[in-house]
Amino acid sequence: MLFSQHRHPELTLAEKIWQLNWSLVLLITSTASIGFVMLYSAANGNIEPWAYQQMIRFAIGLVVMLLVAVSSIHFWLRYAYVVYLACLGLLIVVEFFGATGMGAKRWIDLGFMSLQPSEFMKVVIILALARYFYASRMEDVERLSYLIFPVILLVAPTTLILLQPDLGTAILLGASGIAVFFLAAVRMWIFITGAIAGIASIVPIWNFVLLDYQKDRVLIYLRPERDPLGAGYHVMQSKIALGSGGLSGKGFLAGSQSHLSFLPEKHTDFIFTMLAEEFGLIGGLVLLSLYSLIMIYGFAISLRCRHHFGRLLGMGITMVFFLNFFVNIAMVMGLLPVVGMPLPLVSYGGTSLLTNMIGFGLILCIFINRDVTLRPGAADR
Amino acid sequence: MKFAQIIHPYSPVAKGTGQHGVVLPNRLKFDGARKQALETSRNRLLVTGALFVLAFMIIGGRVIQLSLNNVRVDIASNKLVHVDKILKVRADITDRNGILIATSLPTAALYANPQQILDLDEAVGKLTSVLPGLNPSKLYQLLSKNQKFVWLHRNLTPKLQFAVNALGIPGLNFQQAERRVYPHGSLVSHVVGMTDIDGKGLSGLEGYFDNQLRDRRQPLRLSLDVRIQALVRFELENAMEKFTAIGAVGIVLDVNTGEVISMVSLPDFNPNKPITAAGVAGFNRATKGVYEMGSTFKLFTSAMALDTGRVRLADRFDARKPIKISRFTISDYHAKNKWLTVPEVIVHSSNIGAAKIALEVGTNTQKRYLKRLGLLSPARIELIEVGAPLSPDLWRKINTMTISYGHGIAVSPLQLSLGVGALVNGGVLLKATLLKLGKESKLGGIRVIKGKTSQVMRDLMRLVVRQGSGKRAEVPGYFVGGKTGTANKPGKRRKGYQTRKIISSFVAAFPTNAPKYLVLALLDEPKGIKETQGLSTAGWVAAPIVQKIIRQMVTIVGMEPSTKTEKKIVPGNVLFIPPSVRSPQKLTSAHRQLSDLEKKVDELLFSTNKRRGRLVATN
Repeated sequence: MLFSQHRHPELTLAEKIWQLNWSLVLLITSTASIGFVMLYSAANGNIEPWAYQQMIRFAIGLVVMLLVAVSSIHFWLRYAYVVYLACLGLLIVVEFFGATGMGAKRWIDLGFMSLQPSEFMKVVIILALARYFYASRMEDVERLSYLIFPVILLVAPTTLILLQPDLGTAILLGASGIAVFFLAAVRMWIFITGAIAGIASIVPIWNFVLLDYQKDRVLIYLRPERDPLGAGYHVMQSKIALGSGGLSGKGFLAGSQSHLSFLPEKHTDFIFTMLAEEFGLIGGLVLLSLYSLIMIYGFAISLRCRHHFGRLLGMGITMVFFLNFFVNIAMVMGLLPVVGMPLPLVSYGGTSLLTNMIGFGLILCIFINRDVTLRPGAADR
Repeated sequence: MKFAQIIHPYSPVAKGTGQHGVVLPNRLKFDGARKQALETSRNRLLVTGALFVLAFMIIGGRVIQLSLNNVRVDIASNKLVHVDKILKVRADITDRNGILIATSLPTAALYANPQQILDLDEAVGKLTSVLPGLNPSKLYQLLSKNQKFVWLHRNLTPKLQFAVNALGIPGLNFQQAERRVYPHGSLVSHVVGMTDIDGKGLSGLEGYFDNQLRDRRQPLRLSLDVRIQALVRFELENAMEKFTAIGAVGIVLDVNTGEVISMVSLPDFNPNKPITAAGVAGFNRATKGVYEMGSTFKLFTSAMALDTGRVRLADRFDARKPIKISRFTISDYHAKNKWLTVPEVIVHSSNIGAAKIALEVGTNTQKRYLKRLGLLSPARIELIEVGAPLSPDLWRKINTMTISYGHGIAVSPLQLSLGVGALVNGGVLLKATLLKLGKESKLGGIRVIKGKTSQVMRDLMRLVVRQGSGKRAEVPGYFVGGKTGTANKPGKRRKGYQTRKIISSFVAAFPTNAPKYLVLALLDEPKGIKETQGLSTAGWVAAPIVQKIIRQMVTIVGMEPSTKTEKKIVPGNVLFIPPSVRSPQKLTSAHRQLSDLEKKVDELLFSTNKRRGRLVATN
């Protein structure tokens, strides 16, 4: 079913719905359901305030995802830059009028919900880069001048997010953008040169760009014992919780680290720790398996896609999703410094959930349109 | 359109067009490029996939590692681990001869789960009968709390533990604990410091070596000798009481190794009763306190002047009139109103002379020497409580002059001791240590002055005790050399000086023919008494302390008095100090003649051989 050949270039809506990759939808729903259960537990066995909200959001997200899935892939190709510019505009709006929370300007307050444009940008940047590279030839990508425009596409939002300041999202954005460059067959030596330049710029970045709290996090990542009660507190408590879970966990609603509030941010960034404490190694591995299955679907759909646009877009979104949960899980286990990064589909948070759903919607859309022909110039018609 | 079909590498249309038959050179190129592009793209997708797999393995492995690293296998073995942890007690601390300074005793801590206590009145009644120290109403309050854990007593002796256990009250429990005990009480309090109720080092060596003391089993052996520590503290306490001083410091150093043999700061506290360390009692004046030391700094001034060769011993400096520089006036306490040689400047402790010597040395050289002598940076020693010295940010001429006699710069007594130690031990600045060094290991030092200069400094210090302000520190047979320092304490809000509040100190080394120990005694705000003719200067109050310490400690360290007699210093020797003209009743006729002669020579030379305000003796 998944890899069966469908050679019809244009489909009716009914056909599209029939063509939908329902197993991927099921996987996504299962993963999100784990999130509901954990949010229920995080509120000490209450559906309020988090689990209920999250379910509503997921329902909305599901509808949005399906709408995106049955939309025309030509639409996304054609309006990629428009969407990009709109999102960039939102980032600029945030910079000047955004609501400040926890020392950073990241949100636009819409009254009924707050919007975090930097989350949307994670997917939109992939869209814009895929649009740029979809018809490029080998000779093109070998030319350095050809790369100037996409680099600007990537650097502009990254800089804006860095200014908010949100180092974690900025790095994630940069990394997933670079991954698209990599997939677009940009020459290896450019990456190597870039890496060397990056390493060389560590010292000036450390001295002039990083804020004290960010330096703290990096230093504490290198040695969490430096400050077990201050900035190293999160990771120490998280490790204790993970370790106390053992093989099968302490049982639902029985995680002492989480429920006695030793664990900070247990409904957002540190939700994985709570899962591992209450459901143990088995619970943690089940979630990881779900994630890897979703990844495999994203990877396979991209590989199977016959057009470069879909391939880059699908792979890019899969990459963003992967980086999101990898960074989060590695962070709570002390493998990476603590950067504010929610666990996709599971952590409480509307924009993040919506972004992921839109991303999966695009992957589903790519799957439906896997055999469509997108020629150079298709974006302009 | 056709062009587009050909050039787009991934277009499925390009595949089946059947145009491969037309062989054109540029088509071939495109074909190759297309293949290459397809391959690159595939390869990169696969590389990315491989990276995903790798990343999954990393986080998967980490989840397994973290989840399973403390899986409880069974309760029995878990208990074993627990017991082992508690048996590991904090290491002892001993003095250099193995005398116990700090140790840990196993005790039992009593706690209760108030929710399990059935009969509150009975529990309170029984407990207070066994532990009369507990306050019944407070205990009642504790046990009626809606909690699952309250401490009742942190240190029960085995006997009391047995008694409490025999009461048979449900809800009471014991936890193994340890109590830090300091058998010598306040004797070594500032050096050893203390621990908190959970056995964590808070101050002193307990704080500095906290981790090592937890991990090691061997006792930590200090360089201190509690016997000498005891006599130093005894003498300081006596002097403090006698002169109603607010504080005192005593330091005994081995000048050849840097080992601290004794370090006392008064007032001190009893580490067995942590509450006594509150306030000023917890302040270690020896290492954390910084003071303007006064005339002892003249030793550094003369040492640097002689070491650079810019001044020779016999050079004379005009000390007849106070120096007026901007709004300051530098004058002498024992004004001699004449031209003084370097030994005279030291022996008579002339501020004017010292200032003039410093001007010869120059600001930069002075700064460089003081820095090398460790007087501009905090002393390095194994304590948490180390004070940073205060020195001028902007080092002007006036600073150079006041620093020459120990004003306008504040250092800790330990820094002063180490600096003077370097002057007498042959010229090497050592790092102070509170740990006993092995026979072989000698702390690396840095050379700060020439060996020859060090020899001269010993002679000068000896001269102070033989003929100068340090006479009251003399111990026959031990060739004590030293220097007094009396400094006015700075006024409140750092403005001016308080004439009645002084710091009196005496720093001594002995025996000066081959120095082994350095002794420093310092009194903070001593007040004069009848016996000292109402004076509280260093020569009267601090020098006698040093004398008493040396006299007693030589018997402890087993140092025999020398039977050698010192050479008399006769006129003609550069070290010769002509008797003071201001006490003529003591002068012999020969001395008087010499003194007169010298005056004439002075006048003669003053008129003929003046150079840059300095008079050079021609001999």
